[in-house]
Amino acid sequence: MTDHSASEARSFLPPYLLERLASSGSAHQRECARQTLLADGRFRARAGSTALPQGSARRGEPARFVHSAEQRQVLPGRLVRREGQGESGDPAVDEAYQGLGATYRLFWEVYERHSIDDDGMALLATVHYGRDYENAFWDGRQMVFGDGDGELFNRFTIAPDIIAHELTHGVIQHEAALAYAGQSGALNESLCDVFGSLVRQRELGQSVDQADWLIGKGLFTERVAGRALRSMARPGTAYDDPLLGRDPQPDHMEAFVVTEADHGGVHINSGIPNHAFHLVAMALGGHAWERAGRIWYDTLVDRRLNQDSDFVTFAALTHDNAERRYGAASREATAVREGWRRVGVSP
Amino acid sequence: MSQPPPLTPTSVVRLRREGGVAHFPGLARPRCIRCARVSEAQRDELWRLLSCAEAEAGLEEGPGADRRRFCLSVEDASGTTLWGLTVAEETVPPALIEWWRRADDEAKNEGDP
Repeated sequence: MTDHSASEARSFLPPYLLERLASSGSAHQRECARQTLLADGRFRARAGSTALPQGSARRGEPARFVHSAEQRQVLPGRLVRREGQGESGDPAVDEAYQGLGATYRLFWEVYERHSIDDDGMALLATVHYGRDYENAFWDGRQMVFGDGDGELFNRFTIAPDIIAHELTHGVIQHEAALAYAGQSGALNESLCDVFGSLVRQRELGQSVDQADWLIGKGLFTERVAGRALRSMARPGTAYDDPLLGRDPQPDHMEAFVVTEADHGGVHINSGIPNHAFHLVAMALGGHAWERAGRIWYDTLVDRRLNQDSDFVTFAALTHDNAERRYGAASREATAVREGWRRVGVSP
Repeated sequence: MSQPPPLTPTSVVRLRREGGVAHFPGLARPRCIRCARVSEAQRDELWRLLSCAEAEAGLEEGPGADRRRFCLSVEDASGTTLWGLTVAEETVPPALIEWWRRADDEAKNEGDP
């Protein structure tokens, strides 16, 4: 920290905190802190403040709009690349554009869904949100991606499954609108991981045994002891790091975590339905987006899926949809039933 | 919703950030500010920031997912919680986030996963 910024910080920080910062913070952390001190709350984002541009009237064609917040916390920011324009040269912008396209293609080419609302809704994304902002989120109308702090996290557009994850939150919002708490929230999160993983697998042309089933691979810097945010194949094993802690995801109902944190564990207990999907896909083989993904998509848009649906309800619906599409005695129906049994959701 | 109680030298303020695209137990631990270790002027500033957060918390939390939020609380010397508040990240005063960033991470073996 420079003398100048130190004096600024000292104006309101208690001495012991300054000492802690001086002794334990790296130069970059100190600079990040200084930038935060200088941040102006006037630019901070508000939910639902973004007016959506015109969507796509032609089914099969997306309408993408990628903005840059230019390190401020403002939405949507400056429009950098819109549908049909060439590469911008900004990796975050171009990754977002490509990721939105890959996600649109999965939903359209495999499930015949025309964008988030199945009516051509504009795909709006903002990158470079905030300074050293280490998160990505869906704000109810658009996707938002931070650049990461460079110490623990890289930019969040680096992982196409995270882009697809955020877009899928929009799809869910327009379908069952699974409440973002407890088991329904964990299903919401799991569905986003499922379709996030399917987008990545499809872009890479991977079969189920070639896929790594990781979510957010590439997000961690080399300083983190971890492979990704989550593992669908082995929930609870994605990272074990002194700063981040240990991946808390269970892979079975016996280890279901009851907590008030994380909206009732939505990113924790999603490991259980994530693993169920992985088991079903592995049992069926081939490309996961074709049969396992089809069954999960049928359930995502099933009118019987409610805002407060729990794991048991969701499992029953996937089984019913597998029977409807493939037959009661089909491999698919058997695989679904067995998948949910192995994670302890079904008897 | 009510204003935070006046901060005294025996007050303890806890700040916890949670949510985001993943739950990291190490980053979600509550952080602690012991008011005995800050000046009266700093306590006043901290109280003002908590009050600002409380005023913003009256706004309805927007839709969406993977957003982060802050859980704020004030305890007395006995550990009794006198006041608590959960508020969306984007409505928290930046200066309060800075207090959180620099506060002690003292709850390594307690609380939620």
